Amino acid sequence: MEKARHTSLWQMIAAPIVWAVHFCAVYAWTASACAHAGAAEEARLGVALMTLAALGLIAVFAWRAWRQWDLLSENDHVHDAPTDGHRRRFLGHAGLLLSMVSAIGVSFVAAPAFYIGSCL
Amino acid sequence: MQDEDAQGSTTAPRRLCWGGGALLLTACSGPQSVLDPAGRDAEVLAVLFWWMLGGAVLLWLAMNGLFFYVTRMKERAFSPQAADRLIVFGGVVFPTVVLAVLLSFALSEMPRQRDLGEGLTLRVTGESWWWRVEYRTEDTETPVISANEIRLPAGSRSELELAANGYIHSLWIPALGGKTDLIPGRETRMSLEPVTPGEYGGQCAEFCGESHAKMALRAVVLPPEEFAAWLEQQAAPATPPETETARRGQAVFLREGCGACHAIRGLGARGTIGPDLTHLGGRRTLAAGVLPMSRAALEDWLRAPEAIKPGVRMPAYGHLAAADLAALATFLEGLK
Ligand code: HEC
Ligand SMILES: [Cu+2]
Repeated sequence: MEKARHTSLWQMIAAPIVWAVHFCAVYAWTASACAHAGAAEEARLGVALMTLAALGLIAVFAWRAWRQWDLLSENDHVHDAPTDGHRRRFLGHAGLLLSMVSAIGVSFVAAPAFYIGSCL
Repeated sequence: MQDEDAQGSTTAPRRLCWGGGALLLTACSGPQSVLDPAGRDAEVLAVLFWWMLGGAVLLWLAMNGLFFYVTRMKERAFSPQAADRLIVFGGVVFPTVVLAVLLSFALSEMPRQRDLGEGLTLRVTGESWWWRVEYRTEDTETPVISANEIRLPAGSRSELELAANGYIHSLWIPALGGKTDLIPGRETRMSLEPVTPGEYGGQCAEFCGESHAKMALRAVVLPPEEFAAWLEQQAAPATPPETETARRGQAVFLREGCGACHAIRGLGARGTIGPDLTHLGGRRTLAAGVLPMSRAALEDWLRAPEAIKPGVRMPAYGHLAAADLAALATFLEGLK
């Protein structure tokens, strides 16, 4: 597994996938909680839990991407050579940036539930 | 102090608005303007708009200023570190912070618009190309039925239940609040808290067919006591015609079978396909906001409604004798 890192895109797009799943799940959950029961508190609690879980997962992926990037040992963020090492670090670098964007996206998606306390 | 604040918040944007050039001037104020709010909900939207606009203008100036600076004023190569820093702060941190602040501000303003009404409930049904309007309060047993005009008491929040018959419509009274869709088979809602008594324009804001653009309405905001008196008057049956002409008009109304589609409570007409005409003459406009409420306009309408609203679901009565048409218009206008 560790060896295949320079060929696999999964590590890089794991965080955006968490964002996409969180997005769909939050919409579906809110719609169903509000339509079936009008239960605003339940809807918000669910959104909060899903958001914490998503941010936690993204943090894990961000950490793994950071390690894969390996910035500190090389102290170089240009990875443009056609070598396994450069490919691995490039994917890590991109993965870390995408993790940050995903974390922001997840927070913004959850923000309405933070402010709006009703199903109306 | 509080007063000053409240005033400042409405005059400052307006001044900005007036500064916006001749073209913008005409669009800023008036009875159907988002930027000339007459209710709480519209105020929230206007405040949001001005903040967003201010933010956008600042960002635009900053971006272009920066661009100008690096291309015209300081033409030199940046060190890689400086470039990195610029990308991280200018491209990541700054937009994230700005977006988060604007989003939080917008969201924090939103809950107020979702508040429930405090007593008066209107049921507004979107029809093909007019609005059916029913009023319910705690002490009215049967709803008071009207059409094509919405009246609301100033200073309290009213609930609007929204429904539709046939097609999707959207109710929008820009001076009072945002818009909400009316969807067949579903009930949607909004609530409005008008502040300033006056007359405002409304419009169907979702394409619904041939006469969509001619599906407007008038919103009249009244001081609470006036509203109560008006509602009581609306609940009463129609006043029987008093003049000879008006009586002739009533006879024409009966003879032509208008009562199959229209109701005039108290005078035996019970149709529900078209707008209730019991107090037609008291409305500000005719045919969902497209004509003034006058005898001449009524005659035009009866003669050829299709010419005024394409696709209208009312037959033309141009074949009637001129005197009959005139009498009919007199009768209808008298239904105050
Ligand atoms: C087949 C049903 C039908 C018949 C019959 C009919 N109408 Fe109508 N009428 C309508 C409909 C539907 C509208 C709403 C049209 C619109 O605004 O799109 C309307 C609108 C009106 C309006 C405008 C109402 C308002 O709120 O501004 C008046 C006035 C009116 N009709 C009078 C008459 C008179 C008088 C007759 C008989 C001579 C008549 N109608 C016969 C269906 C009918
Ligand atoms: Cu429409």
